[in-house]
Amino acid sequence: MLAMASPRSTASTPCTRLHSSVHISNLDKPSSCHISLKSHFTPKFQVAENRIVAKAPCRSSKIMHIRCEEIYAPGAEEMYIPEEFRQIYEEIEKLGPAILDKTWYPKGVDSDNTKKTWYIVDATDKVLGRLASTIAIHIRGKNLPTFTPSVDMGAYVIVTNAEKIAVSGKKRTQKLYRRHSGRPGGLKEETFDQLQKRIPERIIEHAVRGMLPKGRLGRRLFTHLKVYKGPDHPHVAQKPVPLPIMDKRIMIKK
Amino acid sequence: MDKGKILYLAKGFRGRAKNCIRIARERVEKALQYSYRDRRNKKRDMRGLWIQRINAGTRLYGVNYGEFMHGLMKENIQLNRKVLSEIAMHEPYSFKSLVDISKNAFPGNKVHFFVASKKPAALIK
Repeated sequence: MLAMASPRSTASTPCTRLHSSVHISNLDKPSSCHISLKSHFTPKFQVAENRIVAKAPCRSSKIMHIRCEEIYAPGAEEMYIPEEFRQIYEEIEKLGPAILDKTWYPKGVDSDNTKKTWYIVDATDKVLGRLASTIAIHIRGKNLPTFTPSVDMGAYVIVTNAEKIAVSGKKRTQKLYRRHSGRPGGLKEETFDQLQKRIPERIIEHAVRGMLPKGRLGRRLFTHLKVYKGPDHPHVAQKPVPLPIMDKRIMIKK
Repeated sequence: MDKGKILYLAKGFRGRAKNCIRIARERVEKALQYSYRDRRNKKRDMRGLWIQRINAGTRLYGVNYGEFMHGLMKENIQLNRKVLSEIAMHEPYSFKSLVDISKNAFPGNKVHFFVASKKPAALIK
């Protein structure tokens, strides 16, 4: 505690010390987010002669941070609290910052592409629409409590064995995929079967694209889907995790 | 309103709407109407976002939003959706305990199935 005598000061009451940061770093299985709590108080009062310099909050955690608003810049957090209010702040200080006041909005680091999970799923004998639905949910990030519609918070998904995807009923020969070249008379149709022989990846891509939002963000989310024919994929370095599927009817009934 | 005020409000608009008073006046009027409407819509949108977040948070534990809230209401826990969504994001252990309270109060009607070898992502046990 530095004691600096300012010429104007008259009162020499000691100021309460505010602690600067509290860590929660004991999450063994970080399935969801981890935060580092920082002191929330803005310096609203005049600085008194006893200046308290709070320590800069240390970011020692190796897991992803959800950052609260960093109001406390190092060196700026001197706060004088008059005696009658000191009791309130002493209690509140122990509770931590008021993160519940404002709805959390992700910062750039929270939606960092290099930190995202990669999932892998084998499409063999899975029902097309049900698989596409699960994939779309994970790509968009709707399974996470940190979901934000305007930010890309989802994961990457790899689909292998795309040519073995299944559909029920007579869709194999009757489901039509249409595209138009833009010119008059340019409507082209092909059945599920024909497309599967020609470009099997397109079937799953078409299905998932229809389930993702349409717009700038939706197009970017679509690039997080990687579909491959056959069992191999070039993303071994990303260490993909098996995609958790909660749908009990995802396997085709034979 | 005079021209200066309107053009000040028209900063950031597209094309001539930020420069030319005739066009800017229309766009600014519209913008003010939208902001009036959206001050009321924001409250609705935010609540929807909180509900989506809570839903995602509870589904990690196999409970959906409706059952969860019903269980909380039964226990007369009056935490609002904003706070619940923040807890779900930042305080996972506290949220798990809330989900457990809700499950005790209202176990729900469904039985959840999992596909053979595929378990959901790591849950806090």
